[in-house]
Amino acid sequence: MHFEPTYENGELVLPKIEFDVIPHQAIGIITDLKRKQLLMNQLADRSQYHLFYAQQNEYSWLTVKELIVFLIQVTERNESVDRLLDYFALKEEQKTKIKNLSPSKRMYVTLLRIFFAHQPVVVLEEPYLYLEEQDRRQFKRVLDDLLPGKQVLILTSNLEDALISCDSVYRLNERGFQRLDIRDTEEEPRNVQKQDEVNITLQKISTKRKDKVILFDPPEIDYIESVEGSILVHVSGEEYTCALTLTELEQRLANFGFYRCHRSYIVNLQKVREIITWTKNSYSLRLDSGQDAGVSLSRSKLQELKSLLRI
Amino acid sequence: MVNVSLKRVRAIFVKDYKEFSRNYAISIMLICPIVLALLIRGIDSSLPLASVAATFANVLNISFLLMTCFAQACLIAEEKERNTLRSLRMTPATTLDILIGKSALVFVMSAIVLAAAALIFGYKPGNIAVFVIVIILSLILYIALGTICGLFSKTLLEASLSILPVCLLFTAAPWGALLEDEYPVFRVLDYMPSSQLVHALRLDDTGFTMGDVWKPLLLIFIWTVGLTAAAVMGYQRQLKNE
Repeated sequence: MHFEPTYENGELVLPKIEFDVIPHQAIGIITDLKRKQLLMNQLADRSQYHLFYAQQNEYSWLTVKELIVFLIQVTERNESVDRLLDYFALKEEQKTKIKNLSPSKRMYVTLLRIFFAHQPVVVLEEPYLYLEEQDRRQFKRVLDDLLPGKQVLILTSNLEDALISCDSVYRLNERGFQRLDIRDTEEEPRNVQKQDEVNITLQKISTKRKDKVILFDPPEIDYIESVEGSILVHVSGEEYTCALTLTELEQRLANFGFYRCHRSYIVNLQKVREIITWTKNSYSLRLDSGQDAGVSLSRSKLQELKSLLRI
Repeated sequence: MVNVSLKRVRAIFVKDYKEFSRNYAISIMLICPIVLALLIRGIDSSLPLASVAATFANVLNISFLLMTCFAQACLIAEEKERNTLRSLRMTPATTLDILIGKSALVFVMSAIVLAAAALIFGYKPGNIAVFVIVIILSLILYIALGTICGLFSKTLLEASLSILPVCLLFTAAPWGALLEDEYPVFRVLDYMPSSQLVHALRLDDTGFTMGDVWKPLLLIFIWTVGLTAAAVMGYQRQLKNE
């Protein structure tokens, strides 16, 4: 896929973007509202891209069943309504008018339009934002079943949402377009050396930002991630680069309750609020830092983490 | 754009019918012609324009605006408000499918209600063929007008307000044209389709020549073609803007 660069007041807001499209894989782009719109504006070709906007509403006076019937007829498909209602798990709600559904269910029903898309590429803006846990799972299933025939692109401002159904995730912000490393790393050899002597004299973690050196106490740090080779230290929603490697940091911070929960993440366990299970194989941690921060968690580390937290 | 699928048109027709009939705030307008017919049927016929035919022509003019035009504008504006028009265009449904599906619903509903109003009013057209042609042309004309109003407004509320000036202009035109002796400018109003409708229906009462029939028919036809073209063009411009 490929996007043209966009300038605004002489500043580059959207760099030239090109990435490989891997069949049967969903791609997520984490970015802000303005860039989401710029991206979607470039995908105006109606025969290629099915765009789903976050502000999409539905025919509120129809019942769920009538809506599905309408969508089947208007897209001229040969599907049976009852089978689809079964598949969408909407049997119970089929006679409810859409305006009377709960907000999460209404959004779920609205999202089902992408099931009827005839275009090869489906682009979704914030699909999971208004969905509750159960509807998220439902919709993830529908989306996964769609993948063999379609290419799916998800635009969101939330890493967690992208992790739910994307296999590769990119981040697009004022620093450009980067790929995030979210792969699970079971097969990788773990060469963590046991170190008995821990340097307790050095407590500060030194970071750099705009040519200034900033020192942080370990308890201040929310989590540390590795993005394209550089190490980012997250402190209350801000990011600072650090010259040390993750392995070095892991050793230094082990005594402060930090834990290497993923190949590219170290998390401050004191700040973990919630362990979220997306599927059998994907987990993430939600932190306590006020920001909506999410950190991925490898499956292999789950048991170890649970024992560390004594749960 | 070019290919029209009956299946898709029918799906849109049925969907809009269900929505329309359940949304009482809009569908209440359907009883407007019937109420008008009941109120005005016993009118004093000494006033100007007050022959049975001319009075009924005015009932029709008001009904066309308050029912046909209003319903169409609301149907389009409601879809815009909920962004469903945008997602409808993501489906294989073409511009014509969407416009025909919606217009057909308003057309059928208006035709039925106006027939009922004619019965209640006790209006008997002198020449059925002329009457039917004029009504069909006018319905298409006001549906196109409603489409334009709907396309110009972003919400249902805006649509119902944008109808008002249009309503004033079109329903008052036959009355304004009466003032042409004092204000020659008002002669223009005689070319409005609503004024021509009055002329067309009045002809039926007495004997008339072919020339008398052709003029209003032709004028209404020109209006219909013009507004329909404007509506389709407006819709396509909308498509590009989004």
